[in-house]
Amino acid sequence: MPADEDKYPEESGRRRFVKGVVGSATLGAVAAGTAASIDTATSAPGAGGGTVEFVGIELTDGPAPRGMPIIPIQIDGGTLKGYWPEVEEIEQQGRTVKVSEADVGGITYSSTWFQYCGVQKYAGTAPDADADNTFLAKPDGTYEWMSELSSGDPLTVDDFTDYKEWGNGIGKSGLGKPAMANWRNTSDGRPMPIQVLRSPEVSKMANGEGKYSSLPGDVQSFLSEATQDGFMAWLDKCTHFCCVPGFKTSDYPGAEDKVYCQCHQSIYDPFTPVKGQFVALPR
Amino acid sequence: MTEDTNTTTDASHDPADEREVRTDGGDEEVSADGSGIVPPDDETPTWSERKTRTQGLSRVTYEYFERARREDQDLRQQSSYVERDVLAFPAWPHEMIRNLALTSFFVGLIVMLAALVPPHLPNPADSGTTPAVILPDWYLYWSFGLLKLGPLNPELSLLGGQVLLADRTYGVLANVVVVGAIAIVPFINKGSARRPVEQPFWAAVGVGGVMFAFTIAVLAVKNIVTIYEPLLFDLTFLSPLVVATITYAILRSMREGYMFDLNRRYYRLRPPK
Repeated sequence: MPADEDKYPEESGRRRFVKGVVGSATLGAVAAGTAASIDTATSAPGAGGGTVEFVGIELTDGPAPRGMPIIPIQIDGGTLKGYWPEVEEIEQQGRTVKVSEADVGGITYSSTWFQYCGVQKYAGTAPDADADNTFLAKPDGTYEWMSELSSGDPLTVDDFTDYKEWGNGIGKSGLGKPAMANWRNTSDGRPMPIQVLRSPEVSKMANGEGKYSSLPGDVQSFLSEATQDGFMAWLDKCTHFCCVPGFKTSDYPGAEDKVYCQCHQSIYDPFTPVKGQFVALPR
Repeated sequence: MTEDTNTTTDASHDPADEREVRTDGGDEEVSADGSGIVPPDDETPTWSERKTRTQGLSRVTYEYFERARREDQDLRQQSSYVERDVLAFPAWPHEMIRNLALTSFFVGLIVMLAALVPPHLPNPADSGTTPAVILPDWYLYWSFGLLKLGPLNPELSLLGGQVLLADRTYGVLANVVVVGAIAIVPFINKGSARRPVEQPFWAAVGVGGVMFAFTIAVLAVKNIVTIYEPLLFDLTFLSPLVVATITYAILRSMREGYMFDLNRRYYRLRPPK
């Protein structure tokens, strides 16, 4: 009796065919998996990420991990602009990486503050991007008053003259006038969504007056340089799952006079800036 | 394949089938003297093949298959089931024609719907704006609600009042706990009760679970529910407990009457001697 005669199941043409299909599929999968893992292991990672310390508006409630980073303001002839530091090249782990960072009131402000939630992939986040730093109006229906502006208009100081009385029926009036805006648009059509707020509280924060006297010294000195004439701005990307929240947009309990994220009810308070830390994603 | 079965069918007709056949084997003992042996089909090994399988794994395998074959044969002989010549229709052309007809019908249905109700094509997703109300599909609310258990995330004094897990990790793990609990239930209760009153506890667990699925779904949409949020949060977890307790109490008190009814019916059928 041949050695393999009592094998079960016995050898047949159909069985050989099935073995061939399964075997070649396995080989193919192993080969493709190996190629993909070698590819990920050897391709150059994006540059310019890493642990970074930032100043942001504080997260007071909800599942988000931290606050949203503040953008230092510049007012250029009545037009609002966001400060984008000069590009410099530094050595980072043997590679030359472009960063734009500068000292703002004792705190190192850099473009890495905005490298989370996919914003790091926007062309405008690149330090040397050819992008306009002007805040451009985005009338998306969030605020009634913005409907008189057209999309892409530069925001000016004149748009905010009534900031001491402004209200939209949510929370109490006179706390400040917000606007939705775009920042650093480039040819890829993906500007950073930001929020501008002009509030009487902002200048008090910058000067450390009243209840803001308890602000940490470095945060207060950062604010005094990052804000101007009561204007402040922050990157409007919820640090939780990247929605675009808004100031005074919901009467959800506890969120009336704060920044409320409609996705998972995170609440940020623009009037309590804090220092935070996160791992910026590589560009 | 179909040709093979015919031989088996024909082969299994032997004079033994003339007896009165009963599925329980009748009054007779199964004979083990070889009188019930049917001629082998071409899948059963010949006697010479069997003889070579006298040792080791081949012997064990042979015994196993031989015993299975024998048991199958006995069952066939004892059964009153009439084996038909045609057990199924061939895949080609019979089944294929039917499948083609069904497939064409549903493809036609899709084409007709696509033509009559043109789909709405919204604008491409814009990561720069978020709609004012943004929620998942309703049947996922329970899972969405589990992501909002932040207040239950314990602040450990060991870590200086810090939480061990981020709220979002905690919410994802809560999903694992809930799905795990549902998966375990069949293992700890086989569900032999025919009506809730027979096992009030498990009925209460079920009702509480359904209630929790509802309340956690309400918690998920807390931004559009006009209930004071801490109260809503407490109700989410307390109301399933309350409902489960009430269910248990009602079923438990119903049980006596139910048993009485059963007994009465039983004794009516068989009056005590």
